[in-house]
Amino acid sequence: MILSGWESFFFWVFAFSAVIAALLTVMASNAVHSALFLISTLVSVAALFVLLGAEFIAGVQVLVYVGGVMVLFLFVIMLVNVGTEERGGGEELYNRPAQVGASLFFCVLLFVGLISAVNLSSAHFRAQPTTPGQSIEQMSAEQALVRETEQGMVASATGTSKISSDTERVGASLYRYGGLPFEIASVLLLVAIVGSVLLARTAKQEAAADDLAPETRAELSGDEALGIK
Amino acid sequence: MHNLLASTFLLWQESVTGRMWQGFQHPDLTKFLIIGAVLLTVGVAGVLTRRNIIIIFMSIELILNAANLNFIVFSRYLQDAGNANAVAGQVFTVFIIVVAAAEAAIGLGIVIALYRNRETIFVDKIDLLKW
Repeated sequence: MILSGWESFFFWVFAFSAVIAALLTVMASNAVHSALFLISTLVSVAALFVLLGAEFIAGVQVLVYVGGVMVLFLFVIMLVNVGTEERGGGEELYNRPAQVGASLFFCVLLFVGLISAVNLSSAHFRAQPTTPGQSIEQMSAEQALVRETEQGMVASATGTSKISSDTERVGASLYRYGGLPFEIASVLLLVAIVGSVLLARTAKQEAAADDLAPETRAELSGDEALGIK
Repeated sequence: MHNLLASTFLLWQESVTGRMWQGFQHPDLTKFLIIGAVLLTVGVAGVLTRRNIIIIFMSIELILNAANLNFIVFSRYLQDAGNANAVAGQVFTVFIIVVAAAEAAIGLGIVIALYRNRETIFVDKIDLLKW
């Protein structure tokens, strides 16, 4: 697949915004700013998914990540970070300098390795002609754009427009090949819900839930054992 | 190392002949892979350098997103090559998103429990098991 025209313009816009927002996520001093930059990275990556023709995954990314996971992150930052801000913000953001230097060196090595691997395999991506006997250079930009967008699209019910069949294909593939993993994922989510409720409740809530030993409850309901926030 | 030098030289040669401008105007799947590599590297740097455990969790989300991007790219490549089950990469991405959501829920629950007990969210202060 080779993008052209407006698609390539939007590719560069969203690629740069994803990378810059990812860097700011890691470097921001305030955790709330960090979460907001991560949201913008996730939305940019969702736009890249749309450019790659994966509309369903883009929607899931925006709904689940931005709508669910990041709201959870913001709630936890609100619960946890207020105390550290009040205690005086003189805290170090990063680890010790030697640690940071070693980590960055490792990251540079990792990046060089990944880029050289991509370079080695790039011939496969470039050499693939979109139609036999006709390369992208011989096609005009408009032709290529129209052909790329028409690909993998079916007429809508009224026949006036074309819609992407990506969701249909992903759903069919999910239920045909991934039935058991799907059920396992649902059990995993149930376990995660129960586990996070158990982990995050306070001692007072535990005492109220009537699942403590009687002596423990007596101890907790005593004078100042509930001083735990 | 030799391969790296050779590919760097090839890139320079391409830019001389104007092929780089062509690649800029018509980005192919390799560019998406490079974006994925950048996101993964930034995420690893965040995990290794930051002290705030919540920001470390966010960096893990970045790494998972880079993996998702790579899966979608290869799924698109298989679609162009006419593979029968070409959307398998997208199905895998759905499962990665599910696991990331579960991991975030459990991890943030642990963070809250830890903050109640230790009053800190800095990973180098949490050294109870360190001898």
